[in-house]
Formats: sequence, structure tokens, C-alpha cells
Amino acid sequence: MSKEKHNPMAYAIHVRDLSKFYVVSQQETGTKAAFQNLVHRRKTEVRAVDGISFDIEPGEIVGFLGPNGAGKTTTLKMLSGLLHPTSGELSVLGYVPSKREAVFLRQITLVMGQRNQLVWDIPAELTFELNQVIYRIPRDSYRSMVTELTELLDLGSLLKKPVRNLSLGERMKCEIAAALLHRPGVVFLDEPTIGLDVTMQQRIRTFIAEYNQRSGATVLLTSHYMADVAALCKRVLVIHHGKLLFDGELSGLLQQFTSHKTIIIQLDNCKANLSNYGEVKSYEDGRYTLRVPKAETARVTERLLAELPVIDLLVEEPPIEEVIARVFAQEEK
Amino acid sequence: MSYFRIFLAFLRVNIYGETAYRINFIIQLFQSLLNLGMTLGGLAIIFTYTNLLGGWQPNEVLALVGVYFLIGGIIRLIIQPGMEQLIESVRDGTLDFRLTKPADAQAIVSLQRVEIWEILEIILGLGVLIYALVKLGEIIGVLQAAEFVLMLTAGGVIIYSFFLILSTLSFWFVRVENILVIFQSVYEAGRWPVSLYPGWLRYGLTFIIPVAFATTIPAEALTSRLNWQTLVGAIALSIVLFIVSRIFWKTGLKRYSGASA
Repeated sequence: MSKEKHNPMAYAIHVRDLSKFYVVSQQETGTKAAFQNLVHRRKTEVRAVDGISFDIEPGEIVGFLGPNGAGKTTTLKMLSGLLHPTSGELSVLGYVPSKREAVFLRQITLVMGQRNQLVWDIPAELTFELNQVIYRIPRDSYRSMVTELTELLDLGSLLKKPVRNLSLGERMKCEIAAALLHRPGVVFLDEPTIGLDVTMQQRIRTFIAEYNQRSGATVLLTSHYMADVAALCKRVLVIHHGKLLFDGELSGLLQQFTSHKTIIIQLDNCKANLSNYGEVKSYEDGRYTLRVPKAETARVTERLLAELPVIDLLVEEPPIEEVIARVFAQEEK
Repeated sequence: MSYFRIFLAFLRVNIYGETAYRINFIIQLFQSLLNLGMTLGGLAIIFTYTNLLGGWQPNEVLALVGVYFLIGGIIRLIIQPGMEQLIESVRDGTLDFRLTKPADAQAIVSLQRVEIWEILEIILGLGVLIYALVKLGEIIGVLQAAEFVLMLTAGGVIIYSFFLILSTLSFWFVRVENILVIFQSVYEAGRWPVSLYPGWLRYGLTFIIPVAFATTIPAEALTSRLNWQTLVGAIALSIVLFIVSRIFWKTGLKRYSGASA
């Protein structure tokens, strides 16, 4: 242990062999089965998180990727103290989250895109004041934070309107502001941009980056939208079936999981058979899209340029969505 | 002190939320008056046939009705709404927001909702109680008043703990709103002295669903019926039930967070 370069306490988040298993009762359909369910339920164990390990430095923004049911939310809930781990080691800012000590809770926050803490019938401002009391935020600090958040998130008059009158995007901005009033050092964001339009997604993304810059807070973010992760996170964790598949830079993810590149060429007014260069994916107005093994990209490009009347040539990485989809698909097999 | 501030903050939120639906005030007023009218009417009819109900005189029963409305109002003002929301939030997952706050989650959950118009029921109850005491012409001594307040508090704590225990069942069974509705029906039995009921029912209303502690016993304090055994018993029961309800809450939370699995 003493040989380790880092003391676990120096990390904002330290996770070792973390697991969470649920026992769920299976409900079968049908009248007869319904009665049987009342008496006896079949139990099965679900391994929501199955032995994951990672460390996050203070001030990092890390993206958490995975399909539905991969274990992202379960991990965030364990990190914020809502769920007790089945096994493994876990510390956030040096605290054990599941103890839910007030000193710990005062330094973290959890935003869930699909659930609201704002009260429906009243203006967000009143929920803010409620949080001010619960977190015991000094008045000056509270006022300056509201001013800062209003400016950064462009809240304007939104805080004075009943929450039910706000659009989904406006509500999300207020939700995020409500969750940050106590200036948490660790921010957990679970799908913060879900259901929002592209402009609003971008707006929230910019804000998260800005907040991280200003406050130096550690941010762990899950999202369905690759654009969120690509824009915000240098580092990503990919989780699937409760296991960590990848931990590293986004570019490294592409390196590791792409076997092919795409070459797009524009030929000068001629039709050619390109199938001996690579797999032809599409053809349109003299424009070919070829899929070639990554290792052969340079050689194929050279041959194309030498042997054909090429006007334009472009080598592309496959889109990140496609890469991730392939990673998950491979795991299924 | 800080929990009092939290309560005030929740109160502000609830008052603001209610003023958006002013019609609720009218509905509540109508409902409370109707309820009181029916009870008093029933009482008037009964006392045309008899002068004594379970050993209680008409004006003593009236005082009991006052206590019944007073406590009923308190239950629906602050105890029941928070518990209903607790059950709801276990199901929809918003309890997570309560649990990530740096304050005792039981306190937050218990203070989170106030149905302010129920204050009308409390005012009506107090009115009936004072009227009955004046008619009784009994002089309420300091000791008696203190006993009354003590028994009212014990009754409140007992009912709160009872509600909390029922509501924490939602950690195991998810759909338990109906349990609170059952309590509401049983509570109606509390508008008559429990001495009126046959033994088994009196026992049930005292110890299984502790309605007697909320209504009959505080009213006994006012009508010089209270003996010291009941007084001590009520206080002891309120302390024990409060501790038991806290254990239920903690165990339920463990279940919610999967710590017990």
C-alpha cells in the first residue's frame, strides 16, 4: 500500500472493486402467476455494478458512458451516499459516502435530469431559499452565488415564475442552480441534458465547463449524448453490464476501439472499381466512401493518389457514437 | 433552532403554493363547518335520549369534540401531509433529494408539507373547546391546564410516531397510501369518549390504533377524570413509540439504500 504513488485521500473520488448487487423478485404475468407472486416470488440477483475501480483527481471533469442499465446511475448513487455498496472501497473527499455525514453532504451535490427537487407550484427562488436554510449558507455568500448563477445561466426573471410555467430547459437551468448554491466541491450530474434541445444542451454544457473552471469543482457526468461528453470531458469511463471497459482519454477510446478508418475521395469525372482498395460504403456523384483497416490507411491512400485521378481526399475517424456502439455490441457476444 | 428555521422555510414554500389555489380555502372552510355541524347535530340528537354518554355529560362530550377537531386539524396540518409526501417520494425517487441534504432526513421529511388551511379546523376545535369549558363553568386550574397541554403533546407525539411507522412501510411495500386513509376512518371513532365502546374496541382504540391518547385522554385532563397512572402511561408510551418509530425509519432507510440486503 505504501508503495502507491498516490494516497487515496488525495483523490477527490477513490473507488476500488466497487460492486452493487440487487436481489429482485421476478413477476410473471398472467392471473395464475399473479396469485403465485403474492405467496412466493422468484428472486434473482442483478449485478448492477460489478467490481469497478477508478480514481478522479480534484478538479477533473470525467464523463461516464454506457447504455441504459449499464450501472452509471447506481454508481453515482453510491458515490452520493444514497446506496450502500455490496462490496468494495469507496471514498469521496476522504469521506465514506454511505455514512451520509453532514460535513460530506455539504460538499457534494446531485443533479438528476429525470427528477426534480424544485417544487412545482412555486417560483424556484423559494426552493433556493429553502436550500439556503438547509445548507446554512451565509446570506452574503448566498446572494453572491445567486447573482453569479443568474448571470452564468441567464436565469433572469425565471426565478420569480412558478416552476410549472417554465419550459423543460428553463427548469433544468433552475434545477442546476438550486443544486450549486452551497458551492459543492464535487458535482454529480446524472443525464443533465436529457430531453433538451440542442441549443439548451450546449448552454448547459458551456455552463458546466465554466463552473468547473471557476470553482475547481470535480465533476462526474453521465450522459446519453456523446456531444456532452466530447465537449466537456477529456477523460471518459465506459461502463457496460456493471464492468468498466475503458478508462482514459476520449482520443484513446477511439484509438483502442476503432479498427477501421473512413477514406472519402472525389474522383475527376470517372467511375472506377475501388473494391480492391477497400470496402466501398457509398458512391455518389464521383464521391466514394471507403472503409479500410486502420493499419493500411497510409498505404491505401498512397495507392489511391498514385493510381487514380483524385481531386480531393479525406481521412476520417468513424463517429464516436459508432465506436461506442461497436464496443457495446462486442460485449454482447 | 435550525430545524425551526427549516420548518419556517418549508412553511413559506407551502403558503406560497397554497395561495395559488385560493379556492382550497373555501372548500376547506365549507368542509370543516359541515363536519362540525354534523357532529354537533348528532350530539344534540343523542342527548335528547340520554343525559350521559359513557359517563360523560353533554358539555364534557362537547369539550371532547373540541379536542377531536383540534388534534384532527393538527394531524392534517402537519403530520399527515409530510407522511403522504414521504410515501410518494419513495415511489418516484425524489426522496433522494431529501437524503442528500446535510440535515436529519426524518426531520426534513416530517416538516416538508403543511396544509395551511387545516388551521381552520384547529381554530374551530379551539372555539368549541372554549365554549364547552365556559358552559361547564368549571374553573380550570394551572395544574389542570398543564396536564391538558402535556396530554395533548403526548397524544400528538403518539399519533406522529404511529403515522411515521405506517409510512415507513412504504420502504418495504411501496404502495401504502391506503393505510393512512384507514387511520382517518378509525380516528373518527375518537369523537366519542372511548369509555362508550365495548372492552375489545376500547382496547384497540387505545393501544392498537392510539386514538384514545389523542382525544379522550387530553379531554379527561380537562374534565378532572385523569388519574396519574394514565398520565404517566401516556408520557411513557409517547417516548417509547417515538423511539420505535425512529428505529422503523432507520431500518427503512437501510432497506431503501440496500444496506440490509
